[in-house]
Amino acid sequence: MATTVLIVDDHPSFRATARMLLEAEGYDVVGEAPDGHSALECAGRLAPQVVLLDVNLPDLDGFAVASRLTAAGATGAHPQVVLISSRDGSDYGPLVLASGARGFIPKGELSGAALEAVLA
Amino acid sequence: MNLRTQLWLLAALGVLLAALGSALLLSSDAREAPVWALASPFMMLSFIGVGLFAWWRRPHSGFGALMTAVGFVFFLSAPMASDTPALYGLGYVFSSLYLGTIVHMLLAFPEGRLDRARDRWIVGGVYALVLGANLVLLLLDGPLEDDSHPRNAYVLVHAPGVAKVALGVAEGLGVLLAGAVIATFVERWRAATAPERRSLGPVLWTGTGLILGVGLSVGLDLVGAGSTVALVPDLAALACLLALPYVFLLGLGRRRWFAAGAIGSLIQRLSAARRTGGVREALAEALGDPTLRLLYWLPRDQRYVDLEGRAVELPADGAGRGVTEVRAEGRRIAALVHDAALLDDPDLVQAAGAAAALALENERLGAELRARVEELEQSRAGIIAFGLAERRRFERDLHDGAQQRLVALGLQVGMARAKLRDDPSAAGELLDGAREELRQAQQELRELARGLHPAVLTERGLGAAVDGLVQRATVPVEIRCMPPERLPNAVETVAYFVLAEGLTNVAKYAGARHASVAVERVNGHAVVEVRDDGVGGADPAAGTGLRGLADRLAAVDGRLEILSPPGAGTVVRARIPCASS
Repeated sequence: MATTVLIVDDHPSFRATARMLLEAEGYDVVGEAPDGHSALECAGRLAPQVVLLDVNLPDLDGFAVASRLTAAGATGAHPQVVLISSRDGSDYGPLVLASGARGFIPKGELSGAALEAVLA
Repeated sequence: MNLRTQLWLLAALGVLLAALGSALLLSSDAREAPVWALASPFMMLSFIGVGLFAWWRRPHSGFGALMTAVGFVFFLSAPMASDTPALYGLGYVFSSLYLGTIVHMLLAFPEGRLDRARDRWIVGGVYALVLGANLVLLLLDGPLEDDSHPRNAYVLVHAPGVAKVALGVAEGLGVLLAGAVIATFVERWRAATAPERRSLGPVLWTGTGLILGVGLSVGLDLVGAGSTVALVPDLAALACLLALPYVFLLGLGRRRWFAAGAIGSLIQRLSAARRTGGVREALAEALGDPTLRLLYWLPRDQRYVDLEGRAVELPADGAGRGVTEVRAEGRRIAALVHDAALLDDPDLVQAAGAAAALALENERLGAELRARVEELEQSRAGIIAFGLAERRRFERDLHDGAQQRLVALGLQVGMARAKLRDDPSAAGELLDGAREELRQAQQELRELARGLHPAVLTERGLGAAVDGLVQRATVPVEIRCMPPERLPNAVETVAYFVLAEGLTNVAKYAGARHASVAVERVNGHAVVEVRDDGVGGADPAAGTGLRGLADRLAAVDGRLEILSPPGAGTVVRARIPCASS
């Protein structure tokens, strides 16, 4: 069965491209969210296995959303969070792992293989 | 009829009535009549003469009129000298009215107005008492004068007993009122500032002597002391009464004399005052007003500042402060903000200001310099803040614009590569999308670069850069005027940003159908203007754009002016110093 993914990013063009790309590589994109609050709501409702989460969101910051998504594990299964950004991962230093996320992929390098490598 | 003529007519009337009064006294059988035939017109004409003089000097104060009135009221008692009973009685009723008018005049000194309710009550009480008591005595056939007066023609009821009691009550009230008047004088003296005391002093103290004398005399009569004892306060009161108009004149003269001395010592002090703030102290001392403040005029900004160069507003009317402007060679240089009492003597303050004009101009230059330093510091801080905000904006624009497009471009190229073998037509579509992203990214980068600094401005000058702005504008823009020659780099750059921001605002907010731009050299300035026919109502404080412009302009010593009445279009105008080369 295909891995289910929720894409969180405030740029609709990026969401559309990422959906196309991941679906072409065999992922099942179950939903999209444009900001932090709707990301939390969608994750609760759709229970995706992976959340692809942009660091710069208009309301909450991506690290805060990641912390809340992974802390939900106390009550049951929680999604694997992978942070993405058009900035370089080194800009954020240890913040990525401290937020409970599995890893970081620069937006320009997003692909099924890159996602698989982070989740492995 | 002008005031001067009216005052002369009053003077003539005064002389006529004084002569009539004297004639009445000379024809009288009363024993002291000859003395009074001299004293009465003297008093009348003293008050009328000095009163009319004060009236003429300060027509807006009611004081001169009140003093003149005192003189005329003396005449009302002249019929007492008549041997005709009917006339005698009439004169008797009005014989003490002058006391009411004098209390009125003294409490209203120097403005001629009774401002406080308590003063109005006191004055009303005295008028009622001096008229009422005499009327009651007359009607009840009470004791009028000691001797030698004609028969009382106005007896209503023969009740001398009742009249005597009424007299006692009136005398008691009289003593109380005299006390109230003196208490008011003391209170006013204590509350007065130094310059006020200088102008209040002589009249207030002579008035106190007069009221004290009258009060004591009435009080002694009340307790039944002999008339010989009462003669002392009587004479003292009479002396004060005779002196009152002349004391008032003396006060005026004393102020003249004081003024001459003050200006002399001011000039000495000014030549000794070397340190900052010395001029204020010298002027404060000379004018006897420790609360004096000096404000310096900045002609360029059209506002007053203090010695430190901080902007200061003039006090509002009615704030109890007077303002006297100091000018030198027709230019406004400073303002003295002083005790309102000094306005009684505008010549003194003017003279002091004129004597200090040179020193004030020196201090004004210092204050102007400090104001400029303060302004430059503020604009420097503004430019730094503006620069930081600009950098944040560029980072955001880059991140949200071109960078996102390049990310999408990378993804699309990656996908196209994956599909190249299995689905070449889908790969072609992806590459088309990628090319569009690339085009838009280029466009956004171009605009950002232009926002940093338009290359055409450096290479081809302001005219060419403005042509580009006009071409990209969303409404038709007319170029009204453009200098044919190149301007200094810094001037061209600031002028360009004024025009660019102005046209951006026209596109965003003005709802205009037409706009025009102009750059002109006027009197060593480049005047840069954007004008539109839109909705107006632009608020320079509201947008960061216009504030940023103001800071940019301040850095080159320029000024921004926004005229934007609601419904009547907007004019953004900047003046940038630009000496002809």
